[in-house]
Amino acid sequence: MKNKLKEPVYILGVGCTRFGNLLETPEIKGLTLQEMAAEAVKEALDDSGTDPSEIDAIFVGNVTMHTSTLPATYSQIAKWTGMQFKAGVHFDGACSTTNIGITLGAMGIASGVYRKVLVVGLESTLSQPKKLSPFDRETIPTEEMWLWTDYCVNQAYSVPQGYDIFPSYNGIIAQAYCKKYGISIEEFEKGMFELCRTRRLHGSMNKRAINQETLEDEAKRFGFDDPYAFWKSNYNPFLAWPSRLRSAVSAADGASAIVISSEDGIQDAPNLPIEVKGWGVTISDLPWYEEDPTYMHYDTLSFDKAYDMSGITAADIDYLHVHDCSHISSICTAELSGYLPKGEGLKYAEAGRLRFDGDRPMSTHGGRHAFGHAWAASAGADTYEAVKQMRGICGERQIPNVPKISVVHTHGYAMVSTVMVYGRR
Amino acid sequence: MPKSIIRGYYEDLEQKKVIGKKCNQCGKITFPPTAICEHCGSREIETFELTGEGELLFVSHSMAPPPNPRFNKLAPYAYGHVKLKEGVFVQGIVTGVGIDPASLEEWYHKCPVKVVPDIIDAEGLSILAFKIIESQ
Repeated sequence: MKNKLKEPVYILGVGCTRFGNLLETPEIKGLTLQEMAAEAVKEALDDSGTDPSEIDAIFVGNVTMHTSTLPATYSQIAKWTGMQFKAGVHFDGACSTTNIGITLGAMGIASGVYRKVLVVGLESTLSQPKKLSPFDRETIPTEEMWLWTDYCVNQAYSVPQGYDIFPSYNGIIAQAYCKKYGISIEEFEKGMFELCRTRRLHGSMNKRAINQETLEDEAKRFGFDDPYAFWKSNYNPFLAWPSRLRSAVSAADGASAIVISSEDGIQDAPNLPIEVKGWGVTISDLPWYEEDPTYMHYDTLSFDKAYDMSGITAADIDYLHVHDCSHISSICTAELSGYLPKGEGLKYAEAGRLRFDGDRPMSTHGGRHAFGHAWAASAGADTYEAVKQMRGICGERQIPNVPKISVVHTHGYAMVSTVMVYGRR
Repeated sequence: MPKSIIRGYYEDLEQKKVIGKKCNQCGKITFPPTAICEHCGSREIETFELTGEGELLFVSHSMAPPPNPRFNKLAPYAYGHVKLKEGVFVQGIVTGVGIDPASLEEWYHKCPVKVVPDIIDAEGLSILAFKIIESQ
């Protein structure tokens, strides 16, 4: 593998809807998936100063066709985004989808075929079309959403024999982390509480997050003056012991969009273009780990590829987001990346060092728990945050030292380990 | 008529046999079986019977209600990470383990412990689960 881009590629503009529930959340309530996608695309086009006529190809990602009922998403979205008669394709990298789209578009640009590419991700994880209505939707039970999402996982053997994401991606990893580093269950609880507190703080400062309530405020709402007592209460049950509900993903509806461009397309950009310096993509079926559940080998391969293509090391990273459907898994990944020292992640969380104003800022949009997770749209939302942080326009959650290098990692179910390296010019 | 590898795996389980593939090129085991050696890509693979015995390294629990209706009667259940004698890692239901935090914490401290296969029925499909054969 040559692992090099022949030409530089830039993110010219980004767009992202509020993540929430199409049946409840004011900013997106009553919209369809087509309309959410159109909203994200409009923002990305405006942000990049791009007219739809300048786009050469559109890559549209959607994972759960059961809730979107839009399998040929490229043509179904084209008329809503001004992309009729472009090259286009529907693709699916599960929870890595939008960033996988950036890699596909970047290769199209670096090869000389395209000048500007639009990447779109859209997803509803909370509702589906009501009967055959083109606009009415109805809630789906959580277990049904997971049944459909688990179609991404080993359907030959694992799912029919009892596979469940919460022990595999949460509980077992948590236990392994504690044993490996000699952390007591009580210390683990405290660390996970502090990590959640940080993510929820970030979400409270982000008007596009699904959950904008701090953990402290939520505790008060439930009658707890002590948020840690709330953390350990029955309001925060074990999802997979010793991992609790608030250390895990919040399913959401949402859409994101990114305009990427060759160097000759960025001259008149109204906002700072961000360079796509490199990436690494590695796939793996179950088992995701062997003797040591805290170590996922394919992540090492992805980070190695990304660091090699971009010419950076972990020491160069100013801002990191790693996939955090499971908070303990995200700590393992951050440590594997070299951004945090091994076995120290929870201590860093407790010391506030992972906050936007800490020395190792992570997931400043709130991550999968507070910002929410709309499968195919989420990697784009992570990139959206990285771009805004690197432009220095994140307001009250802005990282004080505006990042020059940002790294975004996602685990597409299951697994597409994807690492993106972005650089400020 | 070609025989489905997947169907064969479950039919073998019904006969209490745990079947994978062994590679004649690299010597490694592919379990559960597929059409190729998952380690080196060789098609020089042969049927290989595993003991199904091994060590339970960690055990947590599933969500309830379960996503897959096949497990409506079984969930919530203990779900563990197992290293088989043959060096293969597999995850599965662990029978006989309570899913209350106290039980799971007890097993957290006791693990690794030995397990043997416990082929159970899940809505008409024989599946590979495990049971612990010692507590220390």
